[in-house]
Amino acid sequence: MSEPKLPSSRAHWASDAPIISVRDLVVRYGDKTVLDGINLDIFTGETMVIMGGSGSGKSTLLRRIMGIDRPTSGHVFIKNVDISCATEEEVNDIRRIMGISFQSAALFNSMTLADNVALPLREHTNLAESTIRLMTRMKLSQVGLGDAENLYPAQLSGGMRKRASVARAIAMDPEILLFDEPSAGLDPIIAAEIDSLILQLKSAFKMTIVVVTHELASAFLIADRMCMLRHGKILAVGTTEEIRQSTHPRIRQFLDRVPDQAAGGQDDYLQTLTKI
Amino acid sequence: MSLLASVGRGTIQRAEYIGGLTIQFYRGAAAAWRANPLTGSRLRWASTIQHMAVVGVNALPVVCLIAACTGLIMALQGGAELRQLGAIQLVINLVAVSMTRELGPLITAIVVVGRSGSAFSAEIGTMVVTEEVDALRSMALDPIEFLLVPKYIAMLLMLPCLTIAANTAGILAGGIYIYFTLDMGFALYIRAMLEALLLRDIVSGLIKSIAFGTIIVHVGCYEGFHVTGGPVGVGRSTTAAVVKSIFLIILADLLFTAFFYFFWR
Repeated sequence: MSEPKLPSSRAHWASDAPIISVRDLVVRYGDKTVLDGINLDIFTGETMVIMGGSGSGKSTLLRRIMGIDRPTSGHVFIKNVDISCATEEEVNDIRRIMGISFQSAALFNSMTLADNVALPLREHTNLAESTIRLMTRMKLSQVGLGDAENLYPAQLSGGMRKRASVARAIAMDPEILLFDEPSAGLDPIIAAEIDSLILQLKSAFKMTIVVVTHELASAFLIADRMCMLRHGKILAVGTTEEIRQSTHPRIRQFLDRVPDQAAGGQDDYLQTLTKI
Repeated sequence: MSLLASVGRGTIQRAEYIGGLTIQFYRGAAAAWRANPLTGSRLRWASTIQHMAVVGVNALPVVCLIAACTGLIMALQGGAELRQLGAIQLVINLVAVSMTRELGPLITAIVVVGRSGSAFSAEIGTMVVTEEVDALRSMALDPIEFLLVPKYIAMLLMLPCLTIAANTAGILAGGIYIYFTLDMGFALYIRAMLEALLLRDIVSGLIKSIAFGTIIVHVGCYEGFHVTGGPVGVGRSTTAAVVKSIFLIILADLLFTAFFYFFWR
């Protein structure tokens, strides 16, 4: 499929109004500023990958978008609702259109996979138990775990657990799907499996997907647009192509995997060690 | 100056802790109201009943054993003193009143702190570490309603029951001492015990046990919800849950005893 190259820096099928809109977001823990004035728009139907090194604040940003923690200042609008100062009930309404796959999968260890996936359906819908069971089986087979529904999370491998958490995230057919480090701690083959699962969800449901990751290969594979974070600030936002061709020294360093010490010589490094 | 600073910091930390507990209590009470079987629709029966079994039924043998030992100890210690005064029959009053008013609720609560308070804190703490609590919130489920309320309802129902069992065990064990020293039959012992006891003694003990149950659940869950620092933090919070619960239970016991002493006798 060939499409005309668009001048705008976002995916061509994305609609005009941003579904997620972050404005002047600041997060401080004590004296430490983790996020410093973040502005970011994510449009309906696109896959946004938030990249950055460890400690760049990318997971912190994702937690604010989930509405799990409140920012120090600034706003997060999801479908024009400001969840940074909404009441818990209002945030809960928004959460029903969001599905989240956590870094550690976060499956409930005391429940079987089927119960894990069925939990949001049982809690938030009045569907009959037989319907719920059918939907659960559907979601699990969508992620390739159709025959594992009666297993407990402890009986699964890391990759299976991750896929199960995706099944739970899509249980309510969310409009927005968030991934926190989808391939962290997985071997390359399983990580690639998760990537293809994300791509498959993207083409099947046209969901808005936000992924936080530091894995370059998977980021370039799944992203429509990317956002580079460093020390709590956005270095660049753009399509994968724009990011790939960026000349910003820090982005180049990240993409070319150059260690920090290389910036200075060995003497500088020794000096930092001996300095009190 | 540093002394002043550390005193101030300590005070603020304590105030914050009490404040956090109070907020959690309020939210727990509101959620329990939503979940109660008469007006609410969201009671988690399966979870509540499971917790009732773990908190109550499974604790029954150890609570009864410890209470029986305590009753016997009380009878022996009291008997040794009262024998010299020639008032050994007062051992019956001693055992009956102190078990129902004081030791029954207290010992039950302390055993349950060790069994269940620590377990609550470890369970919730682990869920915090593995992001399960965040996952609950991300699914628009209130962790207080989902995790705390079933435990709270189970505790409010089971702790008074355990207390009654402990009272019974302690008093019956006291009867063994009386049987061997005074040659008093068991039926006679029971009648003398019933004469010594007032309903008020039992009711005030049960009121205490409800307060203790509230402390156990809320401190245990609060420590769990506020775990930081991974698995090590879970261990730390479990210890803190037990120590703080026991301290608060003794403090509440003192307050209730003083209240009953002055206003209900």
